[in-house]
Amino acid sequence: MTSVSYDIELNGVYKSYPLGKSRIPIFEDLTMTIPDGDFLAIMGPSGSGKSTILNLIGGIDTVVRGHVSIGGSMLDKMSTRALTRWRSEVIGFVFQFYNLMPMLSAAQNVELPLLLTDLSAAERRERVHTILDIVGLADRHDHLPSLLSGGQQQRVGIARAIASDPRILLCDEPTGDLDRKSADEILELLQLLNTKLGKTIIMVTHDESSTRVAKRTVILDKGRFVSEEIAQCA
Amino acid sequence: MLGFIRQSIALSGANLRSLPRRAWISLSMVLSVTLVVLVLLGFLAMANGFRKTLSATGSEDVALVLSRGAFSEALSRIGTQQGHLIEEAPGIARTNEGAPLISRELVVPVDAVAQDGGKNETLSLRGISANGLALRPGLQISAGRMMTPGTAEIVIGARLAARYEDLNLGDTISFGRSQWTVVGHFTAGGSVFESELLADAGLVQAQFNRPNQIQSLRVRLEDPAAFDRFSAYVDGLDLGLLAQSEKAFYAAQASDISRIILFLGWPLAIVMAIGAAVGAMTTMYSSVSDRMVEIATVRALGFSRSAAFVATLVEALTLTLIGCAIGVALAWVGLDGWSASTKSGANAQLAFQLALSWPQALSAVVLALGIGALGGGLPALRATRVPLRAAMSGRA
Ligand SMILES: Nc1ncnc2c1ncn2[C@@H]1O[C@H](COP(=O)(O)OP(=O)(O)OP(=O)(O)O)[C@@H](O)[C@H]1O
Ligand SMILES: [Mg+2]
Repeated sequence: MTSVSYDIELNGVYKSYPLGKSRIPIFEDLTMTIPDGDFLAIMGPSGSGKSTILNLIGGIDTVVRGHVSIGGSMLDKMSTRALTRWRSEVIGFVFQFYNLMPMLSAAQNVELPLLLTDLSAAERRERVHTILDIVGLADRHDHLPSLLSGGQQQRVGIARAIASDPRILLCDEPTGDLDRKSADEILELLQLLNTKLGKTIIMVTHDESSTRVAKRTVILDKGRFVSEEIAQCA
Repeated sequence: MLGFIRQSIALSGANLRSLPRRAWISLSMVLSVTLVVLVLLGFLAMANGFRKTLSATGSEDVALVLSRGAFSEALSRIGTQQGHLIEEAPGIARTNEGAPLISRELVVPVDAVAQDGGKNETLSLRGISANGLALRPGLQISAGRMMTPGTAEIVIGARLAARYEDLNLGDTISFGRSQWTVVGHFTAGGSVFESELLADAGLVQAQFNRPNQIQSLRVRLEDPAAFDRFSAYVDGLDLGLLAQSEKAFYAAQASDISRIILFLGWPLAIVMAIGAAVGAMTTMYSSVSDRMVEIATVRALGFSRSAAFVATLVEALTLTLIGCAIGVALAWVGLDGWSASTKSGANAQLAFQLALSWPQALSAVVLALGIGALGGGLPALRATRVPLRAAMSGRA
């Protein structure tokens, strides 16, 4: 009863994209619940709608019909402005290609979401420091992304995603561009964020072995979940 | 609000830092603004310099009598009889011997050969009476000596001497059938007189076959206050003549001609500015698509649309201001004080110096900001509409 529960609910979601004059549906009637604190891996063939789900949950794309509600907030009812603000507080994104600002240092990249908070400059600096420490980059503060390895860049990406302490992390193939070893480190980091900090994590992946860090794995095909397995150990 | 400012500063900073990635196209935008600013300042400096030159000409205690309605001396005719009547006017200063200080003058166009290029250009040869010099207090001989009345000698504005052939001391120059000896160079405090050749009026009448022809009378007044009396007398004669103070005459010419220069200059600059704005728009659209993933990413992080708008506009304005600064600097170094010449009212060359001023630099800044706002506005709007999905798919 201490804080709101950020359960994620998709209800009867219909989503389509225009193709020429007609529209091709991605989801016709998608319903799913992702409880607060879950670590869900989503797999499925290319074009099955995995990224689209993340976009809908993260409020950067909108449903045509149906509802997306998170912690009781109906995303489809919010104004753009409210949604933008909500996103900055609740959602952290981790991208396959990191999407760091190339001209900003690691620390400046991590600071970006903190500029949306009321923290003072000193508090922001302190926070950036702590978080780069958590992701194991304490000594890479002032490096530009181009001077970091892929694994390190993704750590910066994760640090940026968790900087403003969001409840939910949306990761689209976070290890898709990394070698095995770096990928494993990133996966462990995500698992840590889920178990120790209680972040809800939804991770899209093409790599079956990545799913071992998740609590549940769903397989998406042609807009439907075709199977679901729950990890033995959580 | 504070958040909005912080977001805008952060995004603008990141934008500006990414400029080297778009160096060439950004540079082309900068230079197009520089060009517009140079053209604008060129015209403004010309108008200003012209006004300055003419307003340095003429005194308040010299009255100029012309035919009524004559815009310039060339269009004016004063008969001998009329001249005698004017001599009787009140308020005219007199020599110790009691002779009125009046100069009967006429201006004839003559051809001279320019030093560079050898083109024939038209200059003004002014015939003046012996008193004519006393009526031009600023006039000083800078080399040689004054001409002797009754001889075919001329003195030359110092600015012209360097620009045309055969105007050095001791040179003989022929205009049509007449031959003249250059005996002196003069300065006249930067006034239009420096663009003239002066000779004895009687000789000019004789040599150019214009017996008794007088275009203007210059009259030294007892003091500036005497002008009203003098002018009333001239009006009272009802001979179709008009008296003006010399100062007022040149000021009117200056404002007419500098207005013409501005009428040409501003529209040209504005048309060029519109072209530059279209170019700027192309540059800024390509900047937005270059930064597409970055914009989508920060928007996904929670940055507002308005911050994306401001950051793009700031980039556009920064580039145009840099272009403007370069333009102003170049103009200041290259144009200010540069000598130019144009046709004066008598259709002869008039030399003057371009003169820049702070208000003109300010108009250049305003024009540049206009280019930036016009060229950056729509691209900045597009920046607010970048689909956020681009963040997911984008490879930076
Ligand atoms: N903006 C768009 N306009 C039109 N069609 C789109 C758009 N975005 C996605 N689609 C289509 O929607 C479908 C689902 O796309 P989505 O990106 O969610 O797939 P995915 O499962 O993430 O695929 P991948 O594994 O290749 O990333 C695809 O067929 C895609 O072509
Ligand atoms: Mg995808």
